[in-house]
Amino acid sequence: MIELRNVSKRYGDTTALDGISFSIKKGEIVGFVGPNGAGKSTAMKIITTYTAPTSGTVTVGGFDGLENPIEVRRLIGYLPETVPLYSDMLVSEYLEFIGTARHLNGNLKKRTDWVVEACGLGNVLKRKVGVLSKGYKQRTCLAQALIHDPEVLILDEPTSGLDPLQIIGIRNLIKNLSHSKTIVLSTHILPEAAIVSDRILMINHGRLVADGTFDDLVAQVSDRRSMYLSVKAPKKDLEAALKGIKGVDEIRFDENAARGSSAAHIFSAPKTDLLEAVNEVMKKQKWTVLEFQQEKLSLEDTFIRLTQGSDAAEKEEKA
Amino acid sequence: MRDVAIIFKREFQAYFYSPIAYVFSVIFILLNTGLYMFHFFFFGNADMRAFFSSLPLVLGLIFIPAISMRLWSEENKLGTVELLLTLPMKSEHIVLGKYLASLAFYLIALAGTLTIPIILLILGRPDFGPIIGGYFGAVLLGAFFLAVGIFISAFFSDQIVSLIITSMACGFLALIGWQYVPMVIDGWIPGLGSFLHRYIGVTRHFNDIERGVIDIKSIIYFLSMTALFLYLNAKSLERRKY
Repeated sequence: MIELRNVSKRYGDTTALDGISFSIKKGEIVGFVGPNGAGKSTAMKIITTYTAPTSGTVTVGGFDGLENPIEVRRLIGYLPETVPLYSDMLVSEYLEFIGTARHLNGNLKKRTDWVVEACGLGNVLKRKVGVLSKGYKQRTCLAQALIHDPEVLILDEPTSGLDPLQIIGIRNLIKNLSHSKTIVLSTHILPEAAIVSDRILMINHGRLVADGTFDDLVAQVSDRRSMYLSVKAPKKDLEAALKGIKGVDEIRFDENAARGSSAAHIFSAPKTDLLEAVNEVMKKQKWTVLEFQQEKLSLEDTFIRLTQGSDAAEKEEKA
Repeated sequence: MRDVAIIFKREFQAYFYSPIAYVFSVIFILLNTGLYMFHFFFFGNADMRAFFSSLPLVLGLIFIPAISMRLWSEENKLGTVELLLTLPMKSEHIVLGKYLASLAFYLIALAGTLTIPIILLILGRPDFGPIIGGYFGAVLLGAFFLAVGIFISAFFSDQIVSLIITSMACGFLALIGWQYVPMVIDGWIPGLGSFLHRYIGVTRHFNDIERGVIDIKSIIYFLSMTALFLYLNAKSLERRKY
């Protein structure tokens, strides 16, 4: 449905996208994940034809974004990151304007009623857009993206600024829509992408760092294991003892450990199990163990590892 | 054409959401009629010469920039430009819709000054040739300045900046058409002032029409310059993509 081939985008000296290629099948829900400034929004702006790529080609539904922008725009519903709203209009006027501009004609009333219901805007229809809360603004803008029942939905950070309940609401809405639509959403919160999307594209410094299901991504980084250890001993003793163990890759001390004790996350080198070795040391030192558990690599850790991995690779490349 | 109408409708309504437009229209009407009435009572002529001779500057420096400043600057500021340019519409149609809305607003304000010819009709026997010519010229002149204004507003997200730059541009176009400004420029760089006066200055063309001399050259000047700036505006929207 969406295909990017070797797409680059440069703004003056800065490279926002650096030869990125991927294709998204009809009906897929894809999450763009990456730190701020990674190029997620730029990729979305290019797909929606708002911005043209410096080089490379983009097609949506078989239409080329540069040659046939109008056809591409017809297919797409777009929620930009900036939440564009005319603050002086009433919510109902705003939706009517977008609906007519999207050429809904006879369907306008039916579609408006549907989006108002789906986005929970019933209470604010006669209010000015400018005075709405952040959550309602976000939902009004989402309604705008859905009003013409587009085949492709591009949502740039759809849940930013919402409260937890609203986030769940939006996620459910996206899941319900997913039967019939191709959806691309961006977020810098990996768990969110993991919950909503079938596939994750991780972008960093304008390049595709990882592409796959969430489990695929975790598998890529999870050959490193970590443990959490908390003992009744001074920090420097613990540090000395742990440093003596072969196969310890990294020690991160927990600064919030209770007074008189110390705690640390211990990361093992790839494909080594430290469980036995750490146990040995504890026995030898006769420390009271307050807590000792194996940790699953968290989503955030996965995210950090993948982006840092690509940062390191880039540095090597430059050197 | 339907797209132009859709954009026109929203844009035209938008003028009435904010008080700025009302305030400027009232100032426009008061300033123009006020300036004129002074002259009218002083000389007692039943014509509108004084009204039309100050019009290029009043329009160019204040009124037109105030109407045109929001056309794109507001969209840039609110981010709605992203929404507008991802609608399934051609950028030419969006530009035209916005432009016609501002033109319609201007025509309403201009119609507010029609009280003057009505007064003249009651008090004396004015020669309607120059008055009709004057209004015709004012429409063409306003249309041209608005096209300059909408073009400029696309480059800024601050309405005040758009206002000032448009005011400078239109003010320049108006002043260069007067006799003595080109003469001063000629004093610095011989020939430049006359060149600008002849080919770019707007007042000269306006004065021709306002005297009742409806010269096809002047009409072509206004219409082609208007079309040029609208075209440049549509192109500049596409240019932002590269």
